[in-house]
Amino acid sequence: MKKLLSIALALLMVLGLAAIAKPASADAEEITLWTYPIGNWGNEEAVKALTDAFTAETGIKVKVEYLTYTDGDDKVNTALTAKKAPDLIMEGPERLVSNWGAQGYMVNIADLFDDQDKAEINPAALAACFADDATAYEYPLCMTAHCMAINMTAVKEAGAEEFVNTDTHLWTTEQFFNTVKALAAKYGLVGGIYCSGQGGDQGTRALVNNLYGGTFTNAEHTAYTWDDPKNIQALKALYDLEGLDYDPSINGGEEIANFYNGIFKMAFCWNIGQQLNPNSAGTGAGKTANGEDIAFMAFPSEDGNAVLQGGIWGFGIFNNGDDARIEAAKKFILYMADSEHTVDAVRASNYFAARSAVAGNELDIWAGNEIMAEYNKLMPFLGDYYQVTKGWAPARTAWWNMLQQVGASDGSEAAIAAAVADYCAQANEGAK
Amino acid sequence: MSPELRRRETVAGYLFLLPSLIFFVGFVVIPMVMCVVTSFFDATMDLNTPDKFIWFDNYIELWQDPVFLKGLTNTLIIVLVSVPFTCIFSLWVASAIYKMREGLLSFFRIVFYLPVVTGSVAVTVVWKWMYNNYYGIFNYVLKNTGIISKNINWLGNPQYALWCIILILLTTSVGQPIVLYVSALSNVDSSLVEAAEVDGATNTQVFWRIKWPQIMPTTLYILIITTINSFQCFALIQLLTSGGPNYATETVMYYIYYTAFKLYRFGYGNAMGVILAIFIGILSAVQFRLAREK
Amino acid sequence: MSKDNGSSVTYKIFSFVVLIILAFLFIFPLYWIITGMFKPPAVINSPTPQWWPHEWTMRNITELFSRRTAPLFSEIALRVPGALRWLINTVFMAIMAMILTCITAAMAGYALAKKRFIGRTFLFSLIVAAMALPKQVILVPLVREISALGLYDNIWAVILPTVGWPFGVFLMKQFSEGIPGEMLEAARIDGASELKTFTSVVIPMIKPGIGALAIFTFINSWNDYFLQLIMLTSNSNLTISLGIATMQAENSTDFGLIMAGAALAAVPIIIVFLLFQKYFTKGITMGAVKG
Repeated sequence: MKKLLSIALALLMVLGLAAIAKPASADAEEITLWTYPIGNWGNEEAVKALTDAFTAETGIKVKVEYLTYTDGDDKVNTALTAKKAPDLIMEGPERLVSNWGAQGYMVNIADLFDDQDKAEINPAALAACFADDATAYEYPLCMTAHCMAINMTAVKEAGAEEFVNTDTHLWTTEQFFNTVKALAAKYGLVGGIYCSGQGGDQGTRALVNNLYGGTFTNAEHTAYTWDDPKNIQALKALYDLEGLDYDPSINGGEEIANFYNGIFKMAFCWNIGQQLNPNSAGTGAGKTANGEDIAFMAFPSEDGNAVLQGGIWGFGIFNNGDDARIEAAKKFILYMADSEHTVDAVRASNYFAARSAVAGNELDIWAGNEIMAEYNKLMPFLGDYYQVTKGWAPARTAWWNMLQQVGASDGSEAAIAAAVADYCAQANEGAK
Repeated sequence: MSPELRRRETVAGYLFLLPSLIFFVGFVVIPMVMCVVTSFFDATMDLNTPDKFIWFDNYIELWQDPVFLKGLTNTLIIVLVSVPFTCIFSLWVASAIYKMREGLLSFFRIVFYLPVVTGSVAVTVVWKWMYNNYYGIFNYVLKNTGIISKNINWLGNPQYALWCIILILLTTSVGQPIVLYVSALSNVDSSLVEAAEVDGATNTQVFWRIKWPQIMPTTLYILIITTINSFQCFALIQLLTSGGPNYATETVMYYIYYTAFKLYRFGYGNAMGVILAIFIGILSAVQFRLAREK
Repeated sequence: MSKDNGSSVTYKIFSFVVLIILAFLFIFPLYWIITGMFKPPAVINSPTPQWWPHEWTMRNITELFSRRTAPLFSEIALRVPGALRWLINTVFMAIMAMILTCITAAMAGYALAKKRFIGRTFLFSLIVAAMALPKQVILVPLVREISALGLYDNIWAVILPTVGWPFGVFLMKQFSEGIPGEMLEAARIDGASELKTFTSVVIPMIKPGIGALAIFTFINSWNDYFLQLIMLTSNSNLTISLGIATMQAENSTDFGLIMAGAALAAVPIIIVFLLFQKYFTKGITMGAVKG
């Protein structure tokens, strides 16, 4: 018995050492891709179909790891510290360009954009992917506008239907307040301004900025301007609104969960991806867990014309000092975002293509899809993509902390203004 | 001791220590030295700016950083609350169960040990739900029993959040002390207790005069392991509150991680680590001095 | 309040009731994990808790094992559910950490307790000072060092620093103090080598201590989170704690699935603990009393 045990242990030890000694691939036969959950790009089956097709054509294998918005950034940062970053990363310019790119970890891929690409790619997306005229850290694949969602069944039951236009999906600040009041009168709890951190900041930023027309950064993207009095007014109005609380115990994902489960009647962390997402209770897309209707809406503003936050997603390459792997990664990018396969790659994301055509052939990815056609109504309201301002990652952190402090304050204008001034200054510290 | 023997003892001593020292020096001492060295640099994650030697600037900045000071205060609160409370609580439980029948005794011993074994991640996952503002069990029970009228956002309220973390920490740290106290109490010399009772001593007197001195070594040992344990609350904070709301649950341990991977300031984080290490070193020295004196 | 319960019956009853309530609170998280694992999603997210599942479902467990796949071991082609691979990694890690810690700590503890040599006090003070040190302190240097050794994102990156943590040495020193000097002296007079003395005299004497340290290390490394968090990234290299944490980040909506994962992390280790708890209790109390 003892002998058997020691043999087993010895075997275990050898196997373990074998695990260490696995040879690192010297040539570019295999590259690694880390992807955030961008539509079905977070789904193993969907991604495997895409990468298998790529491997079949090029012979280059792709090892994929799936990140989450809660811990993904930390994971990438740890890997960068350990000098073991993946070859490819899929996310947006706020991470690729203004964070890892600006810190010198990414490969300049400006050579992947020829003149035709520059003509075909949406100008806003193109601009966001370039750090300066000659330096690009991201090749865009898909994009969308972020919006908010309301539980339409609850709105009808609360008798607030008159304030909600489900045709244009637009509303004014006043209509929004009236809807919240009606919902609060009927249900007590309407929603939560989530601020525990991590992902989903686009929702709270757009809500606060739109209410009274405040801004987040200046037009040149050189400084943070969220100490704008209009934002303070918005933060105060939200503080005073019954039924909506600043909630530092939940993040964007948990807000969506509460919304799906009918606890919240409104969600601010929303886009077409969520709208198309069949929830875990299996009641179908565009429904809550108990089958109530979900309607997506633009963020409310005084004149009813929202300035929406865009999401732009694409690929970037981390510089691991291995030219063969960088070349392979570039092949992958062109295969997914600039070839006849782009249709599949974009469709997997559940978002709109970041370009109108590929090599002169018009892209019509969502033909005949009613929900996408409906959602397309929001796209003209896409605003400035300011997430490329320097020091974006620490600024986002400051934004969360500011919301937490506002929520914990007595709600007086002075207290809110103090919190805003404090953290905005902190954000600007990083923008220098 | 002859010189020959002394030499042999020294060689043997170091040879026996060697395997352990390789790991200890390799994965504790060397990183710690590197930590001290980088704490004098303005080291960041940014590859474009070279790390500058800045003497004590990081250390000076620390004492003006309200978040660090808040973190230090919270760390102190956690230690100062959880260590004595764990000791008193486990002593009470142990004295209530140590005379019980063997079956019952081991039932309670196991029950109080369960949260330790279950592991911080699994435990945290459940507590997160129990504390939930909207559908958590605390709010449900307290509301249904009429103790509160409105949901309390346990982890979202700066007033409660730290105490919620401490409560979980307590449930995961009393297991071992209870086991230790049970055994210490049953080893108390019963003839002394009986003699005192014959002399008419009250229970309280018996406890303080006879039992307490005899379980003193155990108490000191428990103090040490509980102190170690109370610095290991990283997982709870990272998974439950990320240091929020409004830094209410910020600890130095979490702020080091946060500074490195959210603010990208490695040098500054390392300076914090050095301060924490000094702080803990002093604490350990005091405890061991106490232990030696007894 | 009297600390003793010798005479007062009321106090005895009172304390028993309190104990039962406390026991309930301590068991509850585990109870909730186990029952939650079998509840359908709609029930588990409902604001009104269901104390006992009315309707049992295997859906959460099936879901847990139908998620992302990983190779069964190292790079071999056979692919298994990620959760299974996490479990294998965790068992491997905990066993390796346990063996290495026991061997190195027993040797070092004996040397510190029984050998007289220059630098002994200094080394022991260093170990004591480092014992309480949270690993966060050396976060960045440790990540860099492990990466320089080529171990980043490898299960050994978690095992080796765990072995380096000096608590085991401290514990084993406590035990070794109890070895009578005459026995060692006798062995030396008999001409036994140092190694022989260690294996035939010391080891049998400190066996209960090694047993306690083994269980202690096993549980601790199974449940450790921080080292795993900073060292492991690939899905196929994750441990069960880290896997559950990631899963929670990814599927915060799916509480049943998370409960199933938590059960997978907690149940094996609880079984191990229940099987060995007698030795554990015995070993751990022996060491401390000598403190």
